[in-house]
Amino acid sequence: MMLLRRQPTGRAACAAGLLALGVLPPGATAGAQTIPAHPADLAYELLDFTPPAASDHRHELSNGIVVFAVEDHELPLVTVAVTVRTGAHLDPPDKIGLAGLTGSQMRAGGTATMSAAEFDEEAAFLAAQIGSSIGATSGGASMNCLTRDLDACLDLFFDMLRNPGFDEERLALAKRQAIQQMERRNDATGSIERREWQRLMRGDAHFSTLPRTRSSVESITRDDLVAFHREYYHPGNFIFAVSGDVDTAGILAELERRFDGWAAGTGPVPPVPAPDFTPSPGLYLVDKPDVNQGRVAIGHLGTTRDNPDRYKLLVMNDILGGGGFSARLLTRVRSDEGLAYSASSNFGLGVHYDGVFQAGFQSRSETVARAAAIVLEEIERIRREPVTEEELRNSIAYFVETFSRNFSSAASTAGLFAGDEHTGRDPSYLATYRDNIAAVTAEDVLDAARRYLDPEALAILVVGNLDAILAGDPERPEFSLETLRPGGAVRIPLPDPFTMEYPAP
Amino acid sequence: MRTLVGALALAAACAGGTAAAQQVPVEEVVLDNGMTLLLLPRPGDPNVAAGWVAKVGSVYERPGITGVAHLFEHMMFKGTAAIGTRNIEQDLQIIAQLDEVKAALRVEEAALLEAERLGRIEDAGDPAHRTERHQALMDRFEALLAQQGDLLIKEDFSRIYSGQGASGMNAGTSYDFTLYFVNVPANKLELWFWMESDRLLNPVFREFYAERDVVHEERRLRIDSTPIGRFQEQFEALFWQSSPYGWPVVGWPSDLEGITRGEALAFFDLYYAPNNLAAALVGDFDPAEAKALAERYFGRLPRGDRLPPQPRTREMPQVSEKRMLAYAETNPQVVVRYHSVPDGHVDEPALVVLGQLLNDRTGRLYRALVEEEGVATRASGGQSGFKFEGMFELRGTAAEGHAPEEVEQALYAEMERLKTEPVDPRELQKVKNQNAASTFRQLQGNFFLMYSLLMRDAYRGWETINSDPPLYEAVTADDIMRVANTYFEPENRAVAVYYRKASDEAPDPRLAGLDPEEQEQIRQMQAMIGQLNAEQIGQFIERFEQMSSQAPPENQDMVAVVLELLRERRAAAEGDGR
Repeated sequence: MMLLRRQPTGRAACAAGLLALGVLPPGATAGAQTIPAHPADLAYELLDFTPPAASDHRHELSNGIVVFAVEDHELPLVTVAVTVRTGAHLDPPDKIGLAGLTGSQMRAGGTATMSAAEFDEEAAFLAAQIGSSIGATSGGASMNCLTRDLDACLDLFFDMLRNPGFDEERLALAKRQAIQQMERRNDATGSIERREWQRLMRGDAHFSTLPRTRSSVESITRDDLVAFHREYYHPGNFIFAVSGDVDTAGILAELERRFDGWAAGTGPVPPVPAPDFTPSPGLYLVDKPDVNQGRVAIGHLGTTRDNPDRYKLLVMNDILGGGGFSARLLTRVRSDEGLAYSASSNFGLGVHYDGVFQAGFQSRSETVARAAAIVLEEIERIRREPVTEEELRNSIAYFVETFSRNFSSAASTAGLFAGDEHTGRDPSYLATYRDNIAAVTAEDVLDAARRYLDPEALAILVVGNLDAILAGDPERPEFSLETLRPGGAVRIPLPDPFTMEYPAP
Repeated sequence: MRTLVGALALAAACAGGTAAAQQVPVEEVVLDNGMTLLLLPRPGDPNVAAGWVAKVGSVYERPGITGVAHLFEHMMFKGTAAIGTRNIEQDLQIIAQLDEVKAALRVEEAALLEAERLGRIEDAGDPAHRTERHQALMDRFEALLAQQGDLLIKEDFSRIYSGQGASGMNAGTSYDFTLYFVNVPANKLELWFWMESDRLLNPVFREFYAERDVVHEERRLRIDSTPIGRFQEQFEALFWQSSPYGWPVVGWPSDLEGITRGEALAFFDLYYAPNNLAAALVGDFDPAEAKALAERYFGRLPRGDRLPPQPRTREMPQVSEKRMLAYAETNPQVVVRYHSVPDGHVDEPALVVLGQLLNDRTGRLYRALVEEEGVATRASGGQSGFKFEGMFELRGTAAEGHAPEEVEQALYAEMERLKTEPVDPRELQKVKNQNAASTFRQLQGNFFLMYSLLMRDAYRGWETINSDPPLYEAVTADDIMRVANTYFEPENRAVAVYYRKASDEAPDPRLAGLDPEEQEQIRQMQAMIGQLNAEQIGQFIERFEQMSSQAPPENQDMVAVVLELLRERRAAAEGDGR
């Protein structure tokens, strides 16, 4: 297909056109031997890339399990991955952390017939990489091994999926480690910022912010893990992605055989709950006196992935702060002013509920307010005036031309298809993605910025040495957090890292 | 393309044994100016991972200009005569004027720095101390910057790349090398040659002083504002006595402040000559076309007129153990480091395999320290061979109720075992099987392969990707015992012990009833207790039991806590059977 690109000009274009048509013999490209004065004068051949279609790789086993298979025989390696319909949103309220522990202990705790140490030794001796985990809205397990060891590795992998042993000692160790990890919750400003930002956006009642505590983890027993696994790990909840050095028919027959006699469970998995919470705009401060750099997050709620405006939003955010070095935020905060090493924004397109728009940076305490002022100014500006034609063209070209990177390996292709199957996304978007991006106009970007960015709704979170941050920069006294957000700030204290109880302010 | 598929198919067919000798069929081209080009076409998506390495890093610096290699890396993104400016003549004029003003400013700053050094003023940066002339120069400097600002096209270099679908453009500086990389769509290969050769041929180091502020922010981000960054920096300086590996890649702040544009330019002329560079392409491209482009574009660079100097100062042999005790916002942990050998030393394969025996879920350290003894929640170790020196590091995080010194002793016990007991053949085979599989896994991503080829080329040559695996495969149990007995002596090590910095609430519930001073004393005792042997522990317990009956009431609590710690330690020492 034809891709959008900077149109070749002049003599070089002519040469490139002839080359593309195969008119010029090799060595006859004398015109192209000169080096153009500017890269804008370079001409490029057309890049013909058609993404693979999910339907060409989608198979169903007799028990209904969907398997995506993408062959690649370059290396003697096979990857088998499974996505599981489960997640931490299914944690019982008094046992927060159960899903996560179930996922990791499936791998760590041996199986019904192999001790934990035997399982580990066997996997290590085969040089197989086997993993299991449960995240917020899905579970997953995967294995990667040499082709010649495929059978032995599948034995281990299916034993882990079907009959995890949940060794008591390993569980006790994992619980101790989890509790010890809690102690570090208030150490790094980065972890404090992530935690408090989540709370500001999602409130304290949503599963995504319910913290593991010493007592919640201590209360989790082996029986809890067994029950959680039994509830969700059955063929009805699995989506497989197989890739690498396999023959599709062969691996399908192999999976078919290994599922024999394993009944699909009953009942659908409860949906991922959306937060019932409206963030409050304002200035929020967390004091961390020992550091000389403040971390800042600025934002509000975003929207969902299925929103028809998503392409406009992708381009809008790319120009504002998503597009790396050439995005406006980094150019202004870093290149113009030298106020930060990194500054960026992300417009969250949530899969299950609204994502979060978040801009942020880290700057030395004295210049936090000045850098924050620039970020606010840029948010205002992209709502006020259309982006330039050059910004728009570059941003669109970036999305269009990097699209093929989604398929850079058989494993990533199969994983992309499995992910869409899991979240119920119609894979046809892949075929139209580049056209949809290319159709975005400067007016669209302005419209998206006006409708989806709301300066009045912004929350600003600052973590760092508050005395120094509030004092500001003696050379630039016109900047202060108070002037940015008049009306007072909310101070958030540090919680007890084990109980996650916050002291009264 | 065909070459690689053929070679891999062959290797796969022969992979019935334990070690598949995977060969990576790189084509090496050396241009007339001495620049090396490594070509590895691969089938797959229409992209090329492209990069080049300058064989220079922070160990090529000297005191006074530490950080220049990294600062320089930042400057390489500031554009050229054609990129980043609307008017190169005016731009160069302003840059020259800026340098002049800066030189005059240095004289003013030197006076203030002296006053600060002598304690007459607190902060040389405080505007209140500036003379009128000083302030005038600063104003002039700002005015010139503003004038230049009208000419600049900010982040033009990056914008040109991303506007053509190039992604992941960045660079990294290490002790030994500086690597620049980007992924380009397959049809944009010429753009890469244009951009990279242009910034080597016609660089303009504009925005030099603003970029220094960015680097300061990077330093704050990575070192100053992380829980243990400052301690790690101190430990590096402690471990290396004379070697340039002792200063941070990002540089000392005073050097960052002082480095001039002239010094950075001199550094560039020496170390960025084409005969000190290697480039690599991995992905979807035609090698014949790449070679022609390389000659046309990189062939323009003039060969350096002298060979870049190599670091001269070697590390002094260490004569006694060094220790650092740190109170930080982190879980109690220990780092033990030994001087070992540089990359490619004949003993390195055995040291690397020894490290692999220690690591991972089935490794000796996790088994012993975490699972069996329960003194640690994490433990790991391994050899790091840099270009000119090397080290072997062991690390462990103490489990709740255990002191980092207990972890330290347990680490030593594992190293003692390696000195006296031959490694079990199956255990050794396990590590070799993993190495064999990783010769394939390292080929899975074009970007990492490109990075790895360039990094290897900066060390001993890219061919080590093919010639090193057989060396690891050949390591025997005897080799491991021999190196274990060569490098792990106490006088050859430095130890960093981290305690959690006392906070408002005592994290250890046993200390909750004590006042801060007592808590501090207990923490120090904990450190000491961790190093006692079973016999000494017995004696201490006896003494403290006597004390507890005689101690004044206000000290009873503290004595009880110490006794509890001692008894725990005794139980642990008896439990581990060593």
